[in-house]
Amino acid sequence: MLKALFHILIFPGLSFLFVFGFFAEYVDRKLYARLQNRIGPPWFQPLADFIKLISKQEIIPEEADNNVFKLMPLLALAASSVAILYIPISGERSVFSFNGDVIVVLYLLTIPTFAYFLGGWYSRSVYSMIGAVRSLTQLFAYEVPLFLCILASAMLADTWSLSGIAAFYNQHIGYWFCNIIGFVVALICLLGKLEKVPFDIPEAETEIVAGSFTEYNGRLLAFIRMSFNVEMVVGASLLAAVFLPFGLNLAPAGVLICYLIQVLIIIVAISFLRTLFARLRLDQMINFCWKYLAPLAFLQVLFNLTLKVVLPR
Amino acid sequence: MGIISKIINWSRLKSPWVLHFNTGACNACDIEIIAALTPRYDLERFGVVLKATPRHADVLLCSGPVTKQIESRLLRIYEQMSEPKFVVAVGTCACSGGVFNGCYNVAGGINSVIPVSAYIPGCPASPKAIIDGVVKLLQSLEAKPKSKRPGGKK
Ligand code: SF4
Repeated sequence: MLKALFHILIFPGLSFLFVFGFFAEYVDRKLYARLQNRIGPPWFQPLADFIKLISKQEIIPEEADNNVFKLMPLLALAASSVAILYIPISGERSVFSFNGDVIVVLYLLTIPTFAYFLGGWYSRSVYSMIGAVRSLTQLFAYEVPLFLCILASAMLADTWSLSGIAAFYNQHIGYWFCNIIGFVVALICLLGKLEKVPFDIPEAETEIVAGSFTEYNGRLLAFIRMSFNVEMVVGASLLAAVFLPFGLNLAPAGVLICYLIQVLIIIVAISFLRTLFARLRLDQMINFCWKYLAPLAFLQVLFNLTLKVVLPR
Repeated sequence: MGIISKIINWSRLKSPWVLHFNTGACNACDIEIIAALTPRYDLERFGVVLKATPRHADVLLCSGPVTKQIESRLLRIYEQMSEPKFVVAVGTCACSGGVFNGCYNVAGGINSVIPVSAYIPGCPASPKAIIDGVVKLLQSLEAKPKSKRPGGKK
């Protein structure tokens, strides 16, 4: 009981996620600034933003549905923080690992998008409705390639548990290279999931103010920003567990350091991509995802299926 | 002042999010505001981020005289912001109405409609002046909780 509480509240639960989430946001913003030849925010910036937002007055629009509007940011934060419990980050096994937790994690990571959709929709502001619909439309574009890539790697490992996948690739380092297409595709899809720049269509501030979050302010906005940070950390850890399974057989501290480095590599890749590209239009994004990413993901699945038959285990 | 309110005050000073609103400027002041937000001056060093919606913003940067047409909209934008909120008038027009004061379609400076916390004169106010004004506003916030400052005005 105590142990479970420790896992949920401290490590790898809320406290760890909050601290790491702030750090991830800082790395992302600082790198973004440095790449644009700016100095960028100081290290405490995400924390200051969070405290300021929490202490601000909260306004709930008269038209908005009070309960849904208030509930959705919390739901998004909760769903994305639960997912970390199934990802192996400090050893071969995650905290609550079971066979099939890949599916659970993928669906837990989908819940925030739905929460943003519902929150935006029930704000009853035109901008947030457009943003909400866009985020849902975008979901249909990136979700399929992302699922396919991660499941392809699970197929090769012959297990449906993330810890199993990580352990398998850790033992057979050579197989890592087979998943490289999947890794690239999943990284691009993660940009869509996090609504980062080439795919930040749902909150395109130059067209639709702030998308689904136009009406959110104060504490609720702080939770939404936090849930984005947590989603970034969890999404990066998911990719790290599935595609970068190195150093799992070190001592626990070594595993943790390895994990942090892998997640940071993915976050750095995300900020590089975000600096490089400009925003696409929604139809361009969907075309790109279905024309290029989905076939590549299918290719990965076929490739892994053949490998599974051909290669000895 | 308790430790919690100190932390809150610190966070407010470190993360002023701004909203830019043109209340009828000739556009020169707006260009200067945009110039102040470019990488050349890099306001994100101080935690300043340009936000597109009044709900997220702490500081309202207004430029230009308030025209009669925009008066009600300005009031509405101001009321959509959540407390604590500050208004900065950028440019001579925003401070007093400037050359447009007394025109048939102009209501006056920003302070004829909503309370203003800082005035930045200049036609147009240069980016450096704008940054200076915002920094001075933040400094005055820092000093506010103390009842008396030696040498400072109350
Ligand atoms: S102060 Fe000068 S530059 Fe600014 S809006 Fe007025 S006339 Fe234009």
